[in-house]
Order: sequence, then structure tokens, then C-alpha cells
Amino acid sequence: MPKLERSQWYDLCRDMNWSFKYVTEAEVFPEALSQSHGIPAAAWWKWDEPYKIAYREYVHNQAKKDSGVYSVRSAIARSKLFENLDPGWKAAIIAHYGAIAMPEYLASFGEARMGRFGRAAAWRNMALYGTLDEIRHGQIQFSFSHDLLNKEPRFDWAHKAMHTNEWGVIAIRHFFDDIFTSNDAVSTAIQLTFTVETGFTNLQFLGMAADAMETGDVVFGTLISSIQTDEARHAQQGEPTLRLLIQHGKRAEAQRLIDVAFWRAWRIFALLTGMSMDYYTPVAHRSMSFKEFMLEWIAKQFSDQFRDLGLERPWYWDLFLQELDWLHHAFHLGVWFNRRTVWWNPAAGVNVAEREWLEAKYPGWQDRFGTYWQTIAENVRQGEIGLTYAETLLVVCNLCQIPVCSPTIGAPPQMVTRNGRVFTFCSEPCKWIFEQNPARYAGHLSIVDRFVSGHIQPRNLPGALAYMGLSPGEQGTDAMNCAWAFEQLQSAVTRAS
Amino acid sequence: MAIVPLQAAFRGDFAMWLVLVEDQDTVEVVAQKVAYHVIHRRLPPQDAPMRVQYSGRVLPTDQTVAQAGLSPMSFVEVFYDA
Repeated sequence: MPKLERSQWYDLCRDMNWSFKYVTEAEVFPEALSQSHGIPAAAWWKWDEPYKIAYREYVHNQAKKDSGVYSVRSAIARSKLFENLDPGWKAAIIAHYGAIAMPEYLASFGEARMGRFGRAAAWRNMALYGTLDEIRHGQIQFSFSHDLLNKEPRFDWAHKAMHTNEWGVIAIRHFFDDIFTSNDAVSTAIQLTFTVETGFTNLQFLGMAADAMETGDVVFGTLISSIQTDEARHAQQGEPTLRLLIQHGKRAEAQRLIDVAFWRAWRIFALLTGMSMDYYTPVAHRSMSFKEFMLEWIAKQFSDQFRDLGLERPWYWDLFLQELDWLHHAFHLGVWFNRRTVWWNPAAGVNVAEREWLEAKYPGWQDRFGTYWQTIAENVRQGEIGLTYAETLLVVCNLCQIPVCSPTIGAPPQMVTRNGRVFTFCSEPCKWIFEQNPARYAGHLSIVDRFVSGHIQPRNLPGALAYMGLSPGEQGTDAMNCAWAFEQLQSAVTRAS
Repeated sequence: MAIVPLQAAFRGDFAMWLVLVEDQDTVEVVAQKVAYHVIHRRLPPQDAPMRVQYSGRVLPTDQTVAQAGLSPMSFVEVFYDA
């Protein structure tokens, strides 16, 4: 046992900062990887965080966490838990594992960069634990999804997805490369840990954990709740970094970094979490609507932190609030219509009870989106299933790589022509982010660019599906085999009689 | 004949689609090719002619893609002139 109180040794042991004599500061901390923003080296040494954990404690705590999660897994291993889950929920977790498991590793790159190029020992210490956390999150999600391979082969997309050119994967990879893997240490602290983890990861993990427990998926709920406890700790790297920037007159740059990351995270989470919470989770088990969750956790709690730090809400805040009413509904419709292009079976989520729930949570949903689903349901009932599939690609945004949807078709999309190439954006903020640093983004080809330029051969939908790595057995189908369409008819008949 | 990929939307639909047309297609054919991906799938047909809007102007239906100045990745919007 240590013979001193922790407070007597912790700061001394942790804060191993010193002035360099044999090398220059720039050689140790290259700006491209570290980014000082002109703040003097000694000023960075004041960086501090509240957790103050030591390696011995870290290992002890993590072992206890793993023990708890693996115990639940063992207890349930021989049960029929997975078989009894709702098909919509299965879609949610198959999508989650493909989209999130490997990117946890990508997050470890960002953490490791801060662990080496963060300019304070206290920060590097915290980032070391963050690196280990993210490796744990990758490993544990690969392991748990692997358990389910014999029940659903597409759980191998937990590992496979990020190695493919599936369109959603391209979108996720573009986001993570921008924010995690190709970012300097300071920007990573602000964009990954403060913006994405403090804000949006809460949404993904707490929201889905609540829904998992309600749905009866105790294993998944326990798993991601455990992950979230790590996130809550290492996410603390953002705030002290922000405070230092603000103290040294870099408020505008800090604000810009947040504004970029917040918008990018919003698009990805509207796609993944929006569909899962409002369409895939069985309606009886939904703890909150996606919009309610966003308003509570993002619009209120997270934005309070902006104000506490003397920062402003992002400049596009009104647009963000407007999109809470429609964006993820449009994404969901697009994904369902293009279900052959995803590795899970999307639940339409529009039976009678679900439509009533949607209209209650999103007044006007029926007029705005319900009419599309009525046409789709009629096609299903008439046996015109071919009309319920897309036969071409949705146009995707050249920044977020997600389909360009609109609340007001008729307004032309945001477009920029640069060196003869047309770039299309789903929104003003995506265009703004691109124009902040076009050299960073302009070389990337979206799935549509790859199709048009001949990277995808043959240049048709089967060619695109093969390019995305989706064999016929892996392509999504409706989670309920479209039974909901006949339930709608039955309900209408019942009402008429 | 050359293929011209367009970014297309049909008024009342929810998203933009990639639609491949040919440079000698008339605007009327362009409207039909866009409608193929939307009408009967999410929107009902209407008993009205279809029009194509590009860069703020409605294109003559007998004009070709080339004559209308549509280039790869141009955005067009199709609508019923009801």
C-alpha cells in the first residue's frame, strides 16, 4: 500500500514537465501534431483535470468493470435472449456494432496522439488512459458481437464494416478521420473529447443503454453502460484544454473547432441514433423520442457547458433545432428505401401503433412522412415489392457523406465548383466546414463521385453493391418482412367495419 | 451520345437522387427518367405535364440536355405543372 496520502504524491509524480535543452520545443511537439496556438510551454503545464487517477487505480477499476460486464455475458450466454429480441432491436445492434466497434480503435489513435503530443504531462497521463479505454471498447465490442455470429452472420460487420466502401461506412470514416485520426492534439481534445464524447456519446450510449434495458437486451445495455463510464472520465480532457485556449485569447478558434465537430457529430448521430431510437426500438420500450433526448442532453445540458465556459452556441443553432423535427425521419426513409445498401435489416417502424407514436412525438409527421409510407405500404400489399427499392443512388453530401435530404425540395442544394469539380452539400454548415479548409476535404470522393467517375464497375446498382462489399446474403431486407404493411390494411378494415 | 449524371429531385419527395441521362435526351425524357425513381414509389402520379427546372428557369420540354446546358452533376428539379 502507498505510505503517503495520494494528495501528497500525485501531482509531483504526474506532472513531469521540463524545459528542453538538447532539442527544441518544435522538435518535441511539431505544430502539425500538437498545435500550441502560440501558448507558451509553461502555460500548458497548468492544464489539470478532476479525475486524478493513477495507473494502479486505473487497472483496478477497469478489471472490476470488465468482471461485471463479462459476468452478465456468461450468465446469459446459454439463454435465448438474442433469439427473443425484437427484429427491430436486432437491426439497431447490428448497425451499432458495424458503425462503432472499429471506430473505437480509431478513437484510440486520437487519444494516443494526445498521449504523446499533448503539451502537459497531466494531459498525456489522462490521454494514456483514454487510449487504453478505447482499445478496451474496441476489443469488448468485437468480443460480444462475435458471440452472436452463430445466430446472425452479419455480426461480422463489427470487424468488416470499416474495411469496406459501404456508403454509411464512408460517412463514418470521413467523420472519424477528420476528428480522431488526422487531427492535432489540441483539436482532438476539443473536438473528440469535449464535443463528441461529452455531448453526443452520451446520447448514443446512455440513450441506447436505456432502450436496451427496456427491450430486454441486458447484455448490450450492460456493455455500453460500462463503456460510458470510461467515456465520462477521458472526456474531461476537453474542458481544461478549452479553458487554456480561452485564457490565452483563442476563444474564436475554440469556438470554430466546436462548431465544426458539433455539426459533424449531429449528422452522424441523427443517422445512427435517430433511426435506432425512433424506428428500430420497439415502440413499447422507447424511453424517450430521439428529439426529446436531443433536447434534454444536447440542447440543454451540453449547451449549458458552452455558456459556463463563456462560449456561444454554434452559429447554426436554430437550423439544428429545426432539423430535430425532420432530418432523421428523412434519413430513415432513405436507408429503408436503400436497404440493400446496408448490412442490417432496417425496421420500417411504421405499423399503426408506431405511426401514432410518431405523430404524437412529432406533430405533422403523418402529413410530412406518413404519406410516403402509405404509398410504400400499398405497393407491398399489391405485390409491387420492386417499387419499394431504390434503383439508383441517393446523392450524398461532399462533406458529411450522408444523403442530401431536404425539408423543402425545390430549394437548390448548396453547391460549390472548385477546379472544375462540383461539390454538393446537404446544408449550409457542411458547406461552411468544407470552405474552412478545402484542401483538407476536396480530394475525397463520395460514393456518388466514385460511381460517376467509373471507380465502380459495372456502373449500375449491382456494381455499387459489390463495391460496397455487400453480397446478396448481407444486403438488408425489411426486418419484419413488411408485415407492418398488412397490419395497416387490417387496421383500416377494422376501423371501416 | 454521352451519359450525363444529374443530381435530381422531384418536388414533394424527400431527397436528391443520382439520375443518368443522355446528352441527346429531351427535357421531357429527363423528367420521365427522374419520375421513374419517385412516382408510384413515394408520390402518386398526377394528371398534369411534368416540367424540369434548372438554375431558376423552366426548360422547354423539346430541348435536349446538351441544348439546355446541363452538365455532369447539374441539379434539376422536376415537378407537375398542375
